[in-house]
Amino acid sequence: MTLGPFVNEPVLELRRGEVRDALSRGMAALERKLPLRVPAMIGERRIDGETLLSTDPGDREQVVAVATRATGQDARRAVEVVSAAAGAWASVAAEERALILLRSAAWMRERRHELAALCVRECGKPWAEADADVAEAIDFLEYYARGALALDRGASVLQVPGERNHMRYAARGVCAVIAPWNFPLAIPTGMLAAALATGNAGVLKPAEQSPACGAMVVEALRAGGVPPDAVALLPGAGDAGAALVRDPRVHTIAFTGSASVGAEIIAAAARVRGDQSHIKRVIAEMGGKNCVIVDSDADLDEAIPAIVRSAFVYAGQKCSAAARVLVHEGIADALLERVAGAVATLQIGQADVFGTDVGPLIDEEAQRRVLRYTKLAADEGVIVAAREPEVDGRGWFCPASVVTGLPADSAILRDEIFGPLLAIERVRDVEDALDRVEALPFALTGGLFCRNPQTVQSVAARSPVGNLYVNRHITGAMVGRQPFGGNRLSGSGAKAGGPDYLLQFVEGRVVTENTLRHGLVV
Amino acid sequence: MQSPAEREILEVGSRLLTSADSSVHSPVRAIDKRALERASQDAELRTALLRFVDVAPACRSPADLAAHLIGFLGELHERPLPLDAAMRMGSSKAARAALGRAAAAGVRHVAHRFIVAEQPGDAEKVLRSLWSEGVTTSVDLLGEATLSSQEADRYAQRCLDTLDSLAGIYAALAPMPQLEADSIGPIPRANLSVKVSALTPLLRPDAPELGERDAMPRLRALLRRAKERDVHLHVDMESFDSREAVTELVLSLLGEDEFRDGPSAGLVLQAYLTDSPELCERIVAWAERSARAQPLVVRLVKGAYWDHEVVDARQHGWRSPVFEVKAECDRNFEALTVRLLKTRSHLRAAIASHNLRSVAHAIVANRALGGQPRDVEFQVLRGLGDELQRALVREGLRVRTYCPIGDLVAGMAYLVRRLLENTSNQSFLADQVRGRPLEELLAAP
Ligand SMILES: Cc1cc2nc3c(=O)[nH]c(=O)nc-3n(C[C@H](O)[C@H](O)[C@H](O)COP(=O)(O)OP(=O)(O)OC[C@H]3O[C@@H](n4cnc5c(N)ncnc54)[C@H](O)[C@@H]3O)c2cc1C
Ligand SMILES: NC(=O)c1ccc[n+]([C@@H]2O[C@H](COP(=O)([O-])OP(=O)(O)OC[C@H]3O[C@@H](n4cnc5c(N)ncnc54)[C@H](O)[C@@H]3O)[C@@H](O)[C@H]2O)c1
Repeated sequence: MTLGPFVNEPVLELRRGEVRDALSRGMAALERKLPLRVPAMIGERRIDGETLLSTDPGDREQVVAVATRATGQDARRAVEVVSAAAGAWASVAAEERALILLRSAAWMRERRHELAALCVRECGKPWAEADADVAEAIDFLEYYARGALALDRGASVLQVPGERNHMRYAARGVCAVIAPWNFPLAIPTGMLAAALATGNAGVLKPAEQSPACGAMVVEALRAGGVPPDAVALLPGAGDAGAALVRDPRVHTIAFTGSASVGAEIIAAAARVRGDQSHIKRVIAEMGGKNCVIVDSDADLDEAIPAIVRSAFVYAGQKCSAAARVLVHEGIADALLERVAGAVATLQIGQADVFGTDVGPLIDEEAQRRVLRYTKLAADEGVIVAAREPEVDGRGWFCPASVVTGLPADSAILRDEIFGPLLAIERVRDVEDALDRVEALPFALTGGLFCRNPQTVQSVAARSPVGNLYVNRHITGAMVGRQPFGGNRLSGSGAKAGGPDYLLQFVEGRVVTENTLRHGLVV
Repeated sequence: MQSPAEREILEVGSRLLTSADSSVHSPVRAIDKRALERASQDAELRTALLRFVDVAPACRSPADLAAHLIGFLGELHERPLPLDAAMRMGSSKAARAALGRAAAAGVRHVAHRFIVAEQPGDAEKVLRSLWSEGVTTSVDLLGEATLSSQEADRYAQRCLDTLDSLAGIYAALAPMPQLEADSIGPIPRANLSVKVSALTPLLRPDAPELGERDAMPRLRALLRRAKERDVHLHVDMESFDSREAVTELVLSLLGEDEFRDGPSAGLVLQAYLTDSPELCERIVAWAERSARAQPLVVRLVKGAYWDHEVVDARQHGWRSPVFEVKAECDRNFEALTVRLLKTRSHLRAAIASHNLRSVAHAIVANRALGGQPRDVEFQVLRGLGDELQRALVREGLRVRTYCPIGDLVAGMAYLVRRLLENTSNQSFLADQVRGRPLEELLAAP
C-alpha cells in the first residue's frame, strides 16, 4: 500500500469572514454540550470516580468538563487491559493501522471547528492557536501513519553471499503517554499516534487542566478503528501519571512537560520492579528558556513583530516561546523603544475574541507564578513595558511585560517562567550572545535576526538548540517541516514530527539466516 | 482577423511605444536597463542583489556593507566578471571600505530613481517641474512599519503636514486646465496617498474590525484636513490580509455625512485578486448610492504583492487569492477597466499600469464608451513609468505620477518591491527591455 505524500493540514484562513463565522458556530455548538463528562475509558468501560473539574481559564465559574480523577488503581487496571490487548494490536498489519490513523484524522477534520472551540474554552487558546493545534493533531496522525508504513519495510542491511540478513522493527509493548495542557490536542495525539502506528498499545494521561481535550484524542482514535482495549484514557493528576510510570508492564513512556517532572519520571522509570523483564524507555520533551539573538543588521520592522509574537502569543505558554532577547548594543535602544510600543498594543482578553493575542493563563497557580516573577523583574530590573489586562477578574489574566537591565544571575534569565514576561539584554556582538545561550541548561528553540549569510552560518554551527529559526518567529513548528524537540535539559528524545521519531517506539530485530549448505547457496 | 478595437489598441500602443522610446537618451538609463536585464535573466544574481539592497541601509559602515556584499556574492554559483572582481577586492581592509562605499553609492543611485526626496520639502522642485511638463502627482510617504500607537500618530502627523505643504506648493502653480477637471467637474491639484497599515498597528487578518476601529480617528483627521486644503486623499491597498479592513474603513468613513462635500478621495482595486470583480461590483454599487459631491476615485492596479500572496498561500496550504496565470490577471484588468469606465458618472477611474497593452486598451475603451480623453486618469510610478508618462502627456492624456518620499531605510521595502517587479520575468517592462516584438507586447492577453 502506498499513501500519497504527506502534506500539512491547512490551518483555517481566518482572514475570511465566513471562516471566522464557522468557528463561532463551532463554539455555539460546543457550548450547548457543556460541561462535558470525561470518565476514565478503559476498554469498553467508562469509569466515574472522584471528580476533577476543568474550568475555563478565562472564567473560573464556567465548568468545561467534569472529569474523573483516576487513581493509581485505575492506572493499574488500564495497563492491565491495554497490556492484554497489546499483542493483538501489534499483529494487526501495519497498513491497517495506518488506515485507522488516517480515519482518526478524518474524524478530527470533520469536527475541527468544535475541537478548536474546545481548545479555546478548556485551555484559553486564542482562535488561531487553537485551530493550529487541531491541524497539528491531524498532521501527526497523517505523518506517523506514513512513517510507520515505511518503518514496517525494515532497514536495509549489508548482504554477502551465503547469508540473508533482515532487520525489522517491532512494537515495544505498552506505551504510557503523559501530556501537557498547552497543546492539549496536538501533543497527546502525536505521542499516542506514534505509539499506536508502530503497534504499541497506549494509555493517555492528559494534563489535569485539559481532560476534555485528551478525551477527544482517544475518541478520535477509537472512532478511526483502534480497538478500545488498545487505547485507554486516564484523566487525572500527576499521581495517575506516576502510577503509570511505575507499572512494570509499561515499556515506553512518552512524556512532554516540565523538566522537573521529566527528570522525576526518568528516575522512576529506571528502576526495574517486580517481575519486570525489560528496561523502560522514556521519551521526554521538556521546557525551554529560549533566546532570540538580534544582530546589528537586523530589520527591526520584521524582528519586532516576530519577537512580540514569539514571546506573547498564547500568553507565552508555549515551550518554544521567546523568553530572552539578546540584542546588539548598536540597535538596542531602538529595539527597546519599539518593542515597548508594540507590547502596548497587545490585545489581552478572552481567547474566544478574534484578535486576542494574550489570553488568560492556564490556572491560578500559573497566575501566581507569573505575577511573582513579574514583581521580581520590577525589583531587579527596569520594566520597559507593562500592558495590563482590561478584562474582569474571573479569569487568570496577567499583564504582559518587558524587562531589561537585569543582573546576570537573575532567576528571570534562567527559569522557565511560562508566561508573558520577556527579558531584553544588550550584547556586544553575536559571539557574546552565543556565550550566554551556551551557558543555559535548556536548549529548545532559538532565534536569530541577521542578514549576513556568514553570521547566519556561524550561529547555526554554534547554537546548541534543537530548533533555530532565522529571521522569523520562533514558535509554530510544523510537522514534517520543522521536526521539533530540544537538547540538554529540554529533551531527551528524537524530534517530534520528524523522520526518526518513530524509532523510539520500536525495537530492532535482526534475523540472519545461513544460506550456505555444502558449498551451495540455497 | 483582428477586431477594430484590437487594431485601434495596436495603433495607440505603437504610438505610445515609439513616443516613449524616443524619450530615452540618458546613458545612465541605458546602463540601468542593461543591469536590470542581466538581473532578470539570472535568478540567483537577482536574489543576491535584492538581498544586498535590502540590507544596505542597516549596515553600520562601508566595511560592514562590503562584508554583506561579499557574503551574498559568495553564495552565487556563477559570478559575472565585475562582481568577481568586487569579491576579490574584499581581501584588504582599505579595499573593503572602498567596495562598501561604491556599493552604497550604487544603492543610493538606484533608490533615487524611485524615491523623489528624503523630505517633503525637498520634493517641491520635482513636483513643480512635473507640473510644468503637464504631469501631476500623488505623494506617498515612505516609513518604517507601524508597530505602535506612537508610530501611527507620527505617520498621521507627517501626512497632515504634507497635506498642508502640498496644498501650498500646488496653489502657487500656474493653471494647467487639462489636469484640473474632467467632464464631471474639478479635480484637486494636489494628491496624497496613504497606507492604512501605517495608520494603525492593529491590522489583524483575523480581526479586521480591530484595525478599522483603531485607524478610523487618524484617517478621519486626514480627511478633514484634506477637505480643508482641497487635496485629494487616496488610500492605497496592501496585501490581502488587510483588504477587508481597508475597504470597510474607507467606505464607511466616506459614507459619513461630514465628508459628503469633500474631500475628493479614493481607494484601490487590485485586478490580480480572483474575487476583484465582486469587490468591484460592491464599490460600484456603493458609488451609485453615494451622495458624495466628488465621486469616488477608483485606482485600478494589478497588485504589488503578487509574490507575497502566492508564497503565503502556498505556505499555509490555501488556495491562492490571486490569479496565477498572468494573462488571466491582464484580462481581468481589462474587464474591470471597462466596468469602471461604464460607471463614469458615479466614479472616476484611474488606470495605474506601465503595461502599454493595458493602458492602450483603457484609452480605446474610454473612447468607445463615449468618454473624453480627460475622463480617465493614467497613473504611473516614479522611476518605472517615466517614459510612459511623457508619451501619455504627448497624447493629451491626464497623467499622475506616484512619488514616494522618504529616507533610504524607510524606503527599502518599497524599493525592493519595485526592483522585484522590474526584474520579474512576468513583467511587461522586462519584456519590453528584452525587445519582445511590438505585436506580441500589444496582443490581447
Ligand atoms: C500609481 C500607482 C499606484 C499603485 N498603487 C498600488 C496600490 O495601492 N496597491 C497595490 O497593490 N499596487 C499598487 N500599484 C502597483 C501595481 O500593482 C504594480 O505596479 C503593478 O502590479 C504592475 O503592473 P503593470 O500593469 O504595470 O505591469 P505588468 O507587467 O503588466 O504586470 C505585472 C503584474 O502582474 C501581476 N502578475 C505577475 N505575475 C503574474 C502571474 N503569474 N499571474 C497573475 N498575475 C501576475 C502582478 O500583479 C504584477 O505586479 C500601483 C501602481 C501605480 C502605477
Ligand atoms: N519540549 C516540548 O516539546 C514541550 C512541548 C509542550 C510543553 N512543554 C513543557 O511542558 C511544560 C508545561 O506543561 P505542564 O504544566 O502540563 O507540565 P507538567 O510537567 O506539570 O505536567 C505534564 C504532565 O505530567 C504529569 N505529571 C505531573 N507530575 C507527574 C509525575 N510525578 N509523574 C508522572 N506524571 C506527572 C501531569 O499531570 C501532566 O499530565 C513546560 O515546561 C513546557 O516547556 C514542552
